[in-house]
Amino acid sequence: MKIPPRYPRFEVENFGPIKHADVTFGNLTVFVGPQATGKSILLQLLKLLEDTPYIKKEFSRAGVDWSGKFTDFLDVYFGEGMRSVWSDKTSIKKNGVKIDLPDRVEEKRPNRQESMFFIPAQRVLALRDGWPSAFNYYDASTPFTLREFSEHLRLLMSDFGAEGTLFPVPRRLRAEFRDLLQAHIFPGFDLKIDTQRAQKRLVLTSTQEGGGSLPVAVWSAGQREFVPLLLGLYWLMVPAKAPRRTGLDWAVIEELEMGLHPRAIAIVMLMVFELMARGYRVCISTHSPQVLDAVWALRRLKDNGATAAELLGVFDVKPTPGMAELAEKVMKRQVKVYYFDRLGGTTRDISALNPNAEEQSEAGWGGLSEFSGRANEAVARAVANSNE
Amino acid sequence: MGFKESVEETPNLKGKWMAGLGALRARDKVRIHPENTSTTHLRGSVYIDEAWMALDPRGNRWDYAIGYQHQNRSDEFIYWVETHTGADDQIAVMFRKLDWLKTWLNGYGKKLGKFDRLFVWVPSGATSFSQGSTQVKKLSDRGIIFSGSRFRIPLNHK
Repeated sequence: MKIPPRYPRFEVENFGPIKHADVTFGNLTVFVGPQATGKSILLQLLKLLEDTPYIKKEFSRAGVDWSGKFTDFLDVYFGEGMRSVWSDKTSIKKNGVKIDLPDRVEEKRPNRQESMFFIPAQRVLALRDGWPSAFNYYDASTPFTLREFSEHLRLLMSDFGAEGTLFPVPRRLRAEFRDLLQAHIFPGFDLKIDTQRAQKRLVLTSTQEGGGSLPVAVWSAGQREFVPLLLGLYWLMVPAKAPRRTGLDWAVIEELEMGLHPRAIAIVMLMVFELMARGYRVCISTHSPQVLDAVWALRRLKDNGATAAELLGVFDVKPTPGMAELAEKVMKRQVKVYYFDRLGGTTRDISALNPNAEEQSEAGWGGLSEFSGRANEAVARAVANSNE
Repeated sequence: MGFKESVEETPNLKGKWMAGLGALRARDKVRIHPENTSTTHLRGSVYIDEAWMALDPRGNRWDYAIGYQHQNRSDEFIYWVETHTGADDQIAVMFRKLDWLKTWLNGYGKKLGKFDRLFVWVPSGATSFSQGSTQVKKLSDRGIIFSGSRFRIPLNHK
């Protein structure tokens, strides 16, 4: 039996806005680039390739039937109107071997456990009613990844009691993470399950004596964005000795920075490191230069023989034995960064993140630092020629 | 008065003006890329650091001045270029160099101080900070552009 490569490579041509993408996934892979350049659609395609039998089974359980028409399948999987991403020129290769996606969707394969957990950019919709909805609640216009994420959160709720506390909870997340989240995302509040007129809902309950409970509608934008992400991380970080949930190898988090203050983004990046240390192959998309700052620091510190404590110092975190062990593990992992170029419809490997690179897409980190670069230059010019 | 004449009339720079990028050390010349290198646009260069070494051996001297005639400007423009290690702990050194240069431009170098200008730090070797970093903002705030490993001089001024 052929042993799969340690770092899988996917080549995709003529798929939606993507003309040519060539991506080798590391232990952490970061996608950057302007809106609508194919980052999300490539991640969803990856999910489809990795979990085809599982996805078909989920659709079947929900009574979704595409009558054997591949184009209809594309609409129900990627969301309404997305059949246009596919054409007769579309080509997909995994590790150099061509994959016939219509055949793969059509053929009967033995069912397998889900191998990729996907936290979609639209995750806030999973809690729009204050409680995660079932897969079937959504109509066929909704992408599979959102429906499935919501379904997973619904299942996760059964781990907690009727009036249970979701955060902070012993054995859920490292104590260091709990402390950081309490200080920076939920100051003075616990995340709990509440029942209002026989309907369960999530609330933030004040830790002050006599303090009230806040339903989702009045949470801050950052809290509304963060809670589904937190619950997704609960799904991945099982409260057991096993580092990963059975069967899961991949974790995808789209736009992890949404709605979050830079301090909170730093905490989420540390939690991404935790996923890497647990052996997940993590993929994230981002529009945040801070995320690439963290990746750059990781890379450069590793290249220059820095210590785990120095890496943790970037995140303003104390090197407790547990965190130091986490940082040491992460510094041994491979990180890849890809830029999605709108003009060419291609991907570019900018993993070196060299600020001196001649290629602006690398020096400007896929456009995330270009604005800063222009602002810096304009200010420098003005100051140099002023009479100050 | 143009760049060349101003160099020639500056104390200790007489005879130091060089055509093109001729005043730059070979290892620095490869880092500077004028879009148009004709004598119409690239108006010459001078190695300030070397010229003032004997007179001010302890000063934080600046490296080069490069004269350029942009297509969209009526007057010549001077790029004041320093090639220097691109590390955090060198920012303070660069500020001392800038202070030295500004003092010099208000004194001995006043003829060159009349030109519009840009102060450019071209890092030699690896860089320890990124384009969007606070370090680069600190430099910009003092009027220094931190370029990539290669600095391009555009034909048209921005």
